[in-house]
Amino acid sequence: MSFQDIEAGRPFSSRRGLMNGKQDPTQAVAAGIFQINTAVSTFQRLVNTLGTPKDTPDLREKLHKTRLHIGQLVKDTSAKLKQASDIDHHAEVNASKKIADAKLAKDFQAVLKEFQKAQRLAAERETAYTPFVPQAVLPSSYTASEVDVGSDKSPEQRALLVESRRQEVLFLDNEIAFNEAIIEEREQGIQEIQQQIGEVNEIFKDLAVLVHEQGAMIDDIGSNIENSHAATAQAKSQLAKASKTQRSNSSLTCLLLVIFGIVLLIVIIVLAA
Amino acid sequence: MGILYALVGRGSVVLAEFSGTTTNASAIARQILEKIPGNNDTHVSYSQDRYIFHVKRTDGLTVLCMADDTAGRRIPFAFLEDIHQKFVRTYGRAVHSAQPYGMNEEFSRVLSQQMEYYSSDPNADRINRLKGEMSQVRNVMIENIDKVLDRGDRLELLVDKTANMQGNTFRFRKQARRFRSTVWWRNVKLTIALIVVLLVIVYVVLAFVCHGPALPSCF
Repeated sequence: MSFQDIEAGRPFSSRRGLMNGKQDPTQAVAAGIFQINTAVSTFQRLVNTLGTPKDTPDLREKLHKTRLHIGQLVKDTSAKLKQASDIDHHAEVNASKKIADAKLAKDFQAVLKEFQKAQRLAAERETAYTPFVPQAVLPSSYTASEVDVGSDKSPEQRALLVESRRQEVLFLDNEIAFNEAIIEEREQGIQEIQQQIGEVNEIFKDLAVLVHEQGAMIDDIGSNIENSHAATAQAKSQLAKASKTQRSNSSLTCLLLVIFGIVLLIVIIVLAA
Repeated sequence: MGILYALVGRGSVVLAEFSGTTTNASAIARQILEKIPGNNDTHVSYSQDRYIFHVKRTDGLTVLCMADDTAGRRIPFAFLEDIHQKFVRTYGRAVHSAQPYGMNEEFSRVLSQQMEYYSSDPNADRINRLKGEMSQVRNVMIENIDKVLDRGDRLELLVDKTANMQGNTFRFRKQARRFRSTVWWRNVKLTIALIVVLLVIVYVVLAFVCHGPALPSCF
């Protein structure tokens, strides 16, 4: 496809020497699209390797570099395509060149879509799988005999390693489930303790309300007793005065009786004489 | 209920066991020992009827216990961890070459004690101990509320009584004031009576001295 476009471009250059300068952007776009196609094919091959025993950190690194490379190519080709489009609008070129440029733009769109699809697939697989760790950095839980296996492994040994890794993953899942159960039970216990502390808090609040009310009651009692004390003191004073007045009354009564006695005595003496 | 059966084994060989009740836990435990997959350290629980078998394998030594389903997981696995440590500390390397039931005579007593401890003692688990302490605090506070309510009732009675006393002392004061007034008026009347009597006597004496009721000789 791209090669046919390049072949279609050449007759124009051979026929019209005056327009050689204007052919360069179109040819550059065609070359860029070709390179992007090649890079995307490489990228797809790397993506297909994800999730297999060949999936290693090195492969991840290569995948990353290829992605960056494709990004750069897309940027350059996009700029050239824009340049070619500007030339088509400003200069008066023939219709066949415009058609060729439009076709290149369509090819560019198609290759971009393909790259985006491959990129999405790569993201999914990178998340789903973890890279296969090379021999030198095997986890310490492997036995010494497995660690001593040489770098040139047969496919059977590689399959055994994969099986061992799968069992390790199952073991970890089991541990995770166990720890989650323990944590859940502990959380339930802590929830109960929290509930009881809440109840104790409510009880303390109620107690505070009761004690405050009883404080008011005790204030009432205090004021009642003080009023009683004052009234009793006043009553005592009144009674003291009454007592003094009563003693005076007694004196006056005696005096009156004495006077009456004397008068009677005088009357009797006068009558006797 | 709690933990009813405990066992310590190496691979599928039973080294020590203890059963708190007469059940078929021993047979089921042996089946579990043979069925546990792999050789890695593991924690796993199998349920059977109302009981759960908790298994912990570390460094080739397997500790197993059967617990009631209400015991949860935290306490049984704490029990397994404790038994494992005691066993390793007591017998050390001998566990790898011991005969079946080689430690049963000594260690079954330890199993029994620890089963009792983890089944009954709330101190076996910090969360349960804290729960118990919070329950005690709550009970004490409920008692405090009851006592304060009783105190409130008695304070209400005391308020009523002191109010009555206040009323009575007010009436006492009023009557005392009235009594003082009465006595004062009586005193006034006696004084007036005395003055009148004295005036009469003076008049009679003057009448005699002046030779007549109209007092003609003196004026």
